[in-house]
Order: sequence, then C-alpha cells, then structure tokens
Amino acid sequence: MGFIAGVFLFVVVVGLVDRRLPWPSAKQQEEAGKW
Amino acid sequence: MAICKTTRGGRQMVAGHFGFAAIIKSREKSAPLWALMLATVWLDVVFVPLLLTHRESVQPIHTGYGGLIIHADYTHSIAGMLALSAVLGAIFLRKHDRRVAIVIALVSASHWVLDLVVHRPDMPVLPGNLGNLTRFGFGLWNHPQAAACVELLLVIAGAAMYWRSAMEVSAKAGRNGRLASLAAAMIAVFGLLVLFLDYTS
Repeated sequence: MGFIAGVFLFVVVVGLVDRRLPWPSAKQQEEAGKW
Repeated sequence: MAICKTTRGGRQMVAGHFGFAAIIKSREKSAPLWALMLATVWLDVVFVPLLLTHRESVQPIHTGYGGLIIHADYTHSIAGMLALSAVLGAIFLRKHDRRVAIVIALVSASHWVLDLVVHRPDMPVLPGNLGNLTRFGFGLWNHPQAAACVELLLVIAGAAMYWRSAMEVSAKAGRNGRLASLAAAMIAVFGLLVLFLDYTS
C-alpha cells in the first residue's frame, strides 16, 4: 500500500511540475501541423 | 499477505510503463503527463480493487523480479483492456480535446502490449477466460535480466525524450530549462528507483 501511495504522490508531483511547462495546447499543436 | 501481494503485483513494470508515458508526452505535447501516466497503469489501477476482493489474483512462482503469474482475467483480458481503455478515453473526452482522449485510450491499451512482452502466458482473450481460449504472454520475465534491460531502456528513453521536448518548448517560450530538467530528473530517478527495488526484491 505504501508503494501505491508513493506512485500516486509521484504522479501528482511530476504532473504539477509538467503543468507549469509551456506545452502547446491541442489547438496550437494542430495548427502547427504536428498531428 | 494480500497487501504484500498487491504491492508486488502492482509494482511489476511500473517503471517501464511510466517511461513509455514520458516517450508519448514528448510526441503528444498537449496531453498532460499525469494523464498519460494514469493511462499507462489504468489496467493495474482497476486490477488492485479486484485483487483485494479476490476476483483476480497473483501467484508467486519465485521471490525475484518478475516472479509472478498474474491471474488478471478481467482487467488484462483483450476484451477487458479494450473496454477499460475506451472508458478512460471517454472520461477524458468530456474535458479534453478528442485527439488527446484518443491518445489516452491508446496509451491505456499500450499497457497490455507491454505486459504481453513480459508476462508468462496468463492474459486471456475474454473476461474471466470465457471459452477457455488461448492465453497470451511472451514470458520475458523468465529472463529477468533481459526484462529489466527493456524497462531500463524505456525509463532512460522516456526521461531523455521528455527532457529534450520540454527544453525545446521552454526555449521557444523564452524560459530557462530548470523545470524541464527537474521533471525529467524526477522521471529518471523514480523510474530507476522503482526498477532497482523491483529487481532486488
């Protein structure tokens, strides 16, 4: 159970860091022709 | 005992799955990393309560890395995988772009494909192994060093590709790469730590 909690915590923390990066939105990526 | 088994069962291949999520993030930049990580382990997320209620089970065959036969006849059947992936994609479709929702569903399905490589033949076609059809699994866990190398490659490739992509978008936005490096380092350190714990268990 400790492992599952650790994984959950990792996903939350790395997810929050990732959200602060200036990733393009889906629309911007589509317009850039990446898809 | 059940909790111990849950932990061991849930720990298998997590590093590799998360490495794969980071690889996909480097290509599908608008998909949130947390969502991709959730998608890569979605089948295992559903597996845990079924394990605790004895609907699914794990059978240890030795104490080392990959020493399990996993009787996840619902969550890890082909039909179950398709249904669970579709459900997760539909959930994300409510708040995200259609493309992102499709990517999330496909990443969820990728869990089964990665498991196919390492599992012994324990993954059925239909839920509950209905019809007693062929079970799938190439059994790379029978060669623990090779399986660990595959996971290690996924972790390193994931962290490296994520870092490169995050640095690129940071530079375009005129920002320094500290956050990009931090996130990539977290992916690498967590993946290597989990793999180490798994391999030395």
